Amino acid sequence: MGSDKRVQIIASDAGGTMTDMMVVDSEGNFTIGKAATTPEDQSVGFWESLIDAFEYWDTDFQEEAGRILPGVEAVVYSGTSMMNTLLTATGRKVGVITQRGDEDVFLHERSRQTWAGYPYQDILHHVTHRHNRPLVPKRLVKGVTGRIDMFTMEAIPLYEDEVRRSVEELLDEGVDAIAVCLLYSYMNPAHELRVAEIASEVMKKRGREVPVYLSHKLAPIMREQGRLNTVVLHAYAAEPGREQLFRIEEKLKGSGYRYPLQIVLSHGGLTDIRYPRIHEACFSGPIGGLLGARYLAQEMGTGNWVCTDMGGTSFDVGLIMGGEPMMEREVVITRRIYNIPTLLMDTIGAGTGMYVTIDPITNRIKIGPESAGAEPGPVCYEMGNEVPTVMDCCLIMGILNPDNYLGGKLKLNKELALNAIKEKCADVLHVDPYYLAEGVYRLINSSMREHIRAVLYARGFSPADYHLLSYGGAGPMHVAGYTEGLPFKGVATLPWAAAFSSFGCAAVDISHRYQKSTGVIIPDGAEDSWKLMMGQMMLNAGWEELEKLAAADFAAEGLPWEEARVQQIAYVRYGGQMEDLQVVSPVARINSPEDMDRLIATFEDLYEKVYAGVAKHPQAGYQIMELGLTATVPKVKPRLPRLPLEGKEPAKEAIKGEREVYINGRWHRATIYDMDTLRPGNEIEGIAVVEAPATTFFIPPARRARMDEWSLLWLG
Amino acid sequence: MSYSKDDIRDLLEGRLAWDKIKEIMSSPKDDDRFDRCIEILQERVPWPERILMPLGEHLYVVDKSGERIVKCDCGHEFGDWRQNWKLNALIFARDTREKLEEIYPGIRCPDPNLCEVREFYCPGCGTLLKVESVPVGYPIIFDALPDIDSFYSEWLGRPLADRKEFKDMTCEVTRGWGLEADGAHG
Repeated sequence: MGSDKRVQIIASDAGGTMTDMMVVDSEGNFTIGKAATTPEDQSVGFWESLIDAFEYWDTDFQEEAGRILPGVEAVVYSGTSMMNTLLTATGRKVGVITQRGDEDVFLHERSRQTWAGYPYQDILHHVTHRHNRPLVPKRLVKGVTGRIDMFTMEAIPLYEDEVRRSVEELLDEGVDAIAVCLLYSYMNPAHELRVAEIASEVMKKRGREVPVYLSHKLAPIMREQGRLNTVVLHAYAAEPGREQLFRIEEKLKGSGYRYPLQIVLSHGGLTDIRYPRIHEACFSGPIGGLLGARYLAQEMGTGNWVCTDMGGTSFDVGLIMGGEPMMEREVVITRRIYNIPTLLMDTIGAGTGMYVTIDPITNRIKIGPESAGAEPGPVCYEMGNEVPTVMDCCLIMGILNPDNYLGGKLKLNKELALNAIKEKCADVLHVDPYYLAEGVYRLINSSMREHIRAVLYARGFSPADYHLLSYGGAGPMHVAGYTEGLPFKGVATLPWAAAFSSFGCAAVDISHRYQKSTGVIIPDGAEDSWKLMMGQMMLNAGWEELEKLAAADFAAEGLPWEEARVQQIAYVRYGGQMEDLQVVSPVARINSPEDMDRLIATFEDLYEKVYAGVAKHPQAGYQIMELGLTATVPKVKPRLPRLPLEGKEPAKEAIKGEREVYINGRWHRATIYDMDTLRPGNEIEGIAVVEAPATTFFIPPARRARMDEWSLLWLG
Repeated sequence: MSYSKDDIRDLLEGRLAWDKIKEIMSSPKDDDRFDRCIEILQERVPWPERILMPLGEHLYVVDKSGERIVKCDCGHEFGDWRQNWKLNALIFARDTREKLEEIYPGIRCPDPNLCEVREFYCPGCGTLLKVESVPVGYPIIFDALPDIDSFYSEWLGRPLADRKEFKDMTCEVTRGWGLEADGAHG
């Protein structure tokens, strides 16, 4: 083994096409592997990817797994297995019991679901909007009479005979699972619990048991459509996905791994794969980078980061504020709304794989919205695509090295790319192909720059308070362009930008998150007794309930509850406003009116940071409609080595040569560096290209880059 | 820009997969769509006259020895395209509660004193060609009078040989009825 140290962490990120693997040893060294994802049995791709990773350490993992795995302290999975089940609609046969009158909910949907995921021009064109094919057909949706009202009172008793009949009918249909979602169950679950009891009686009598999932247990949050979607997701895709995870764990344990397999949750938590709300892991794919940035932020003590991830098809922007990523509690994924807390990412279609065409009506360059993906890929892949892409443009400009792509594993055909750009675009506009390629490069950079600007300024934030981090395979190639003119405190990228997501997954602590709706109203100038009563009855009771749940989950996973770091959370807003803020409560319980004041003061401080002091509106009073809880225990993490600074001059071996690069309308002689040979302290003057096997960092003329003690490359 | 004839045929017949339809909708218009459609439609009909323009699902404006007339799939001819073909169709007016309730039962039924539903059938094949829902006594709606010459010359860039005057000539039909009625009574 190249590194003689003990392997400590294995983290995987299974994407739709590739499974990335990061293996970290006890010194913080790591190696990265890749293999094709195998959707029918993910353990195959997982294992292949591990073998690939260990090859870089000259280790035959197949042979030595039994020696390596017993020493490993954590294996972390994040990926898209459950998402693929959704996309291919190959989940379990689920029956639904809902409120009478609400049976058509999957057909009428919320209108957002008919255009979610569309590019902007299609959102404007209603003719392209379309309802989704329901995951549960109408004949498997049964309505039952009964009603809990918004004050948690029983307005109409539950018609138990209807419940019994519905369960019978669903069992007749041969469902694999029953999902239950009734109105206001998150405030008073009595009817849902009774449905579960009746279902259990009926099933016992018939001698056939299927699992019954209740919405108030899985997603106790208001808005029934997101709640229902979440329960169905859990029954339809998440539980079958868990079986895949067990297969991976079995394989690991077969070679001596001693702990449960851990899975990354979409809100940045990490848990044993036996976790009851496993659906929270469905959308964890894209957040790995944010988790990595959070870890960097904590280690480096730099609290505010704009995280930008550019890949083949999309450009994602996430924010780290005061060391913590921002969260959204309702996500739209694969065209459906779910009540699953998820780290906030603002995404636009902008990636290196995007097609470049000339609009026949306006004669303007059009980038995307479609992307060539991994297959057939850009023209230069020589896999049959004839329409040029952004990557083809970077290749002919000389920014990309045709012989170094994926460490030289894939040779790129520059000639073919040039011809395609010439014929399909440049000749149509009667311009030079290199001039056109630079135009495309600038155009996509400016659309990403505008996106960053929108993400920040729309929330009232200023780039001057943030550092920007660029990662993803294509980020460093474009970062100088997409940050141009934005006054960030600093702009950085890292040598292992392409594997930053799996690094992020390796760097997560074990953490669970719980949410619950509530109803706290504090009018302006409220009496102390009112503040205390609201705090004790609503907040304290809610937090206690969530802590009980958390403690039970910890016990089930064999985690030490007494060592957990518990954070009480309240979602506070001004009366009448639509948006609330996540406030980590400064007190664990509201034991006095002053405690409530402290919670509100924390909210107002945050509000002032997020918006502006003048926007504060205490006259409207305060509302808390939801509360939450996180419980965290530390896990081993990859060490982020902090190295002594060396000289400014890069070592001779770091210089790979020179190459002509086209930028600013003419050819320049650019110095080419090897990223892995650069040392902390080294400085590089533009125009230069820094090459790593999976990333290319471009430094334009008159710009420079410096590697700091954390091995981050700062663009100057 | 162009799509295959099979895709366009599937599109016309409602068989094309949604993904492809969405792709077509979100892309710039294909250059040869009109000609492709006419080609497919022409292959489908059993008569020889050249289709100048489709007019709904079953009707076409065709060139019949220099005249432009409206013709059904089945071959039935409705007369000059500048006259509302509906006047020469078989008309079933749902103007009583009983007739309306066949389609809109119970509380869905509109008030027959306010609204009537007219169905237009082809006298040749009995196909339902068009439905209109209008206030009682409202004149029959002329859905579309295409300016065929302008379309051919300005959009397709190949003018038709014999230019026709572009105007609504429906009143000639009703005037004919008036004269007939006068004759009958006079």
